[in-house]
Amino acid sequence: MSTDASNEVRLAAESAASRAAHSAADASSQEPSGPSSPRRKGLSERNRPLWMLIPGGVLMIIIIVVPLLLGIFMSTLNLDQYTLRKWVSAPFIGVENFVEAMTSSPLLHSVWLSVSYSLLAMVVTLPLGIAAAVATQNAFKGRAVIRSIFLIPYVLPSFVVATVWRTMLQPDGIVDKALGTVGIDVGLWLNGPQTFWTLVLVQIWASWPFIYLLALSGLQAVDHEVHEASALDGALWWNKLRYVVFPYLKGPLSLAFLIGMLHHINNFTLPFVLFGVPAPADVEVLPILTYVTSFQSFRFGLSAAMAFISLVLIAIPLFVYLRAVKLDDAESPGAKK
Amino acid sequence: MSTSTATRRSPGTTDIPRPGSKRQHEVLRLLPGPLLTIILLFLGALVLIPVLYIFLASVNSDIGVANGEFWPSSFSLDNYSKIWTSVGLATGLANSVLVAGATAVVSAALSVSTAFVLVRYSFRGRLTILRGLLALQSVPGTLMVLPVFVLFSSASTYLGIQVIGTQWGLFVTYLTFAMPFSTWVMVTYLRGLPKELEEAAKIDGASNLGVLFKIILPLSWPGIVVSGIFAFLLGWNDVLFASVMTRPESQTAAVALQIFGASQEGGAIPFYGQMMAAALVCAAPVVILYLIFQRYLVGGLTAGGVK
Amino acid sequence: MRFRSSSGLAAIVTAAALALTGCGGGSGSTDSSTSADGKVDGTGKTLNVLVNVLSQYPEQQKQWQADIAAKFKAETGADVKFETFASANDELTRIQTSVVSGQGPDVYSLGTTFTPTAYATKAFVTLSDDDWKKVGGKDRFNPATLGISGPDADHQAGIPFVSRPFVMAYNKDLLAAAGIDKPATSWDELAEQAKKMTKDGTFGIATGYKDNFDPWKFIWAMSVQAGNPLVDGNKFKLDDPTVKKAYQTYFGWLTEDKVVDPASVGWSNSNAVAAFASGKAGYLMMTTSSSIPTLDKSEIAGKYEYALMPTIAPGETKSKSDGDAASILSGDNIVVADYSKQKDLAFAYIKLITSKDEQLNYQKIFGDLPANAEALASLTDPKLKPLADAAAKSKATPFTGAWGDMQLGLLNVTVQSVPDLAAGKVDEAALESRIKDSQSKGQASLDRASKG
Repeated sequence: MSTDASNEVRLAAESAASRAAHSAADASSQEPSGPSSPRRKGLSERNRPLWMLIPGGVLMIIIIVVPLLLGIFMSTLNLDQYTLRKWVSAPFIGVENFVEAMTSSPLLHSVWLSVSYSLLAMVVTLPLGIAAAVATQNAFKGRAVIRSIFLIPYVLPSFVVATVWRTMLQPDGIVDKALGTVGIDVGLWLNGPQTFWTLVLVQIWASWPFIYLLALSGLQAVDHEVHEASALDGALWWNKLRYVVFPYLKGPLSLAFLIGMLHHINNFTLPFVLFGVPAPADVEVLPILTYVTSFQSFRFGLSAAMAFISLVLIAIPLFVYLRAVKLDDAESPGAKK
Repeated sequence: MSTSTATRRSPGTTDIPRPGSKRQHEVLRLLPGPLLTIILLFLGALVLIPVLYIFLASVNSDIGVANGEFWPSSFSLDNYSKIWTSVGLATGLANSVLVAGATAVVSAALSVSTAFVLVRYSFRGRLTILRGLLALQSVPGTLMVLPVFVLFSSASTYLGIQVIGTQWGLFVTYLTFAMPFSTWVMVTYLRGLPKELEEAAKIDGASNLGVLFKIILPLSWPGIVVSGIFAFLLGWNDVLFASVMTRPESQTAAVALQIFGASQEGGAIPFYGQMMAAALVCAAPVVILYLIFQRYLVGGLTAGGVK
Repeated sequence: MRFRSSSGLAAIVTAAALALTGCGGGSGSTDSSTSADGKVDGTGKTLNVLVNVLSQYPEQQKQWQADIAAKFKAETGADVKFETFASANDELTRIQTSVVSGQGPDVYSLGTTFTPTAYATKAFVTLSDDDWKKVGGKDRFNPATLGISGPDADHQAGIPFVSRPFVMAYNKDLLAAAGIDKPATSWDELAEQAKKMTKDGTFGIATGYKDNFDPWKFIWAMSVQAGNPLVDGNKFKLDDPTVKKAYQTYFGWLTEDKVVDPASVGWSNSNAVAAFASGKAGYLMMTTSSSIPTLDKSEIAGKYEYALMPTIAPGETKSKSDGDAASILSGDNIVVADYSKQKDLAFAYIKLITSKDEQLNYQKIFGDLPANAEALASLTDPKLKPLADAAAKSKATPFTGAWGDMQLGLLNVTVQSVPDLAAGKVDEAALESRIKDSQSKGQASLDRASKG
């Protein structure tokens, strides 16, 4: 179906948008069954330069997988300040740490807080990041500078971001004064129930450029032909964005969503510097809990068990999501085959 | 219908308007002017107001900052000269540029080749690797610090390789932690690239490496730049690993800044002004680097003039 | 290795573990040769020393380190390499990683309250009589400073380096204007005086309820002064009435007496210093000599003075603690890592920096009081008198590996009460339930400690 691109662009674009869903249907069981799998005809099976995977693979096995296994091993030990020095011979207690983490620690509450705050922050940063990327896609005078300015929140170390916001949000600080002039009194930002929202707000400020960067890279893959066609078609800007451009962003943004969530969930510095330890109960997020357990209470084994449980708890929705968006398998929309 | 949407025009026969022409501008336009202005103003204010605060705090007195002033009651640029000796910013910046820069370059290179294999070739375990990468990405840093340190220190005890305290050790750590994400960025980007050019090159007898260097690399600059930026920022902003794995001479700017900013127990007012000044100075190189590299973030396909 | 299975995981872990067994063990032997006259020859060696960064004195600290390194080189022929950590949290991470890997600095500078935890790891040298001689003899130290060096006089790992006792600062003009002739000595009197000074945007007391350390120190001090040292054998006594009274007094400044700035619910210690430095508060609580540089540069330079914090518990007429407990025993201890292969060199270094001259020099530059008894006695500056008094009347926090958790529990009661504080009233039942919660966690930790 060789097309003159000036024809039926809307149709083509829509089909591109729907392809992910389509391929989800026909590729739902696409674990490659072997080198001779006939279905992946797009993928070459001869003369594969698999050696290119070796350098990265070796690094990741040594620096991530081995320490991770060590960490899991530690989670089965009664490892605390009394046994730390000869940690290899610390008493093996099997799943006791895991039981304690699940039953008598605030772990599940922390997982809930972490996930919900991450999700809230993500829901706001996505549109912000996309808007920023779309707005700086077309050349205009000063674009380079604006693009760089947008990056600043992401470039500042978390430690600085948190310190700055902590000073701005302190009682009678700048934010309170500014809101006071328009008659709003929000109350405490850094203590009490509102801390949750403070964390969400600051996280949004700090991380929307991340979405912006990924969306920007996705936009670069949009073909001129598609622009050309939709322009000729007289597409309204919103329709053009929705049917022509956004399908190209699906891959990068699905990834951005996933990685962004993980960044938020694992962000230690921001809540730590904003609220300190012990944190108010409403922001006792996962990294804070594991940090306190390991460095204030010195229950290293328990802390490793907590981290491992949370890893599993987070991995489950992650893989459900992966399958849902077909990020790990589908040819992404907009790709040519 | 999953086979094609539009075939690519062969170069030379194109009727696509030349880049930069007015007509081309109209074609590429994504947003109406007023909306564009509103978005830029909103986001600009969102970023710049706190940044302005950081700047004002950097020229204010420390007591003023602690008292919650926005407009400085006193004004002085002294902080910008003091930080070079007090924070040890020069060494920190040099180390940061070295470590984060090397991380960015190497991780971008490794991730392009890894992603190339993962996207273009089929083999057993391909999906597992792709998913495994994401699983690795989700491992919390706080779980990893201790084991990674144990690993590195045993490298020194048993293999005689001193890893801890060197820039080299930090580089390897950041490189590895950047790999899963950088690879994924490249995977999503490469998927968007057309295959026809590669196939044509192969018919012409190009090797795998030839395809990677001659076809993939030139086409994927936007992806490479973005994945490089992420890898760079990972190394630039990390404090967790750097604080246990560096020694004074290999300290990164982020650690130097944190050491400087953390106030003493029961102590006096932290040097807010110098800290804010140092934060801005630390942010500057990255912003400038981005200013340079952002020109590669343009439509990589037709606009890039692919041959 | 106790457990081994055929699974790949266990194999890898075992391999790694076997490779690591033996680290951290350390041997008592040293490879520095000690000659007959007690001089240590460390030619060609390097001693690694971890110290806290003195953020108020960045240049001076570098200079001091260079000077000491030169003197040490002249004396022993060895080099000293200094590393710094930013905060207590950083230090914990550094110690943890070093202890686990058996590799890291030879000598550590530790905050006093962290010494029990460090001692519990058994990763630091418990000094023998012989070792004490190598650092210049136990009697060269101010006896009070040895209070938190170990569980008892025969098992001590922490060598006192400096004292940094907590005191309060007061604004002489504000006190005089309110007709107060001398600073308060009981907490009740303090509140009364503070009320007199509170008017027109000026408050009697500056303190930060959101500080990460201060709140537990108040509660600890008031409880100890009421006769409850918080730990009694194997019992944690946070559920004692004295503790509740302490919290009520501390919170009462804000909710009942209204003698602190309402904004201080969100302050850390540094905000309180700033308020005091701009002349807006009569008393600055829980401060140390490290506030001198800030205050001397501020509007109230020359108008402030230090004094002992009250030593008589709320509602009492005299202190029920032996030794008044004017401050927690605060400062820095030095410990030598057990894995260090150059312990004699480490002791020689400690001997150098705890000598009378070096201690006086350190005091002059950084303001911290000497741990060296002779040096302390030779200080005559009247401004230092309250600080020296506080050092002598300091009391150690309980020496148990569980103290970290207890401190966290004490602090957590305040953290979770701050929203109530901001609303102007801390409900008694809520306070009790928070105390109960911290009590059970602290007790659990103490149980682990006595088992370990």
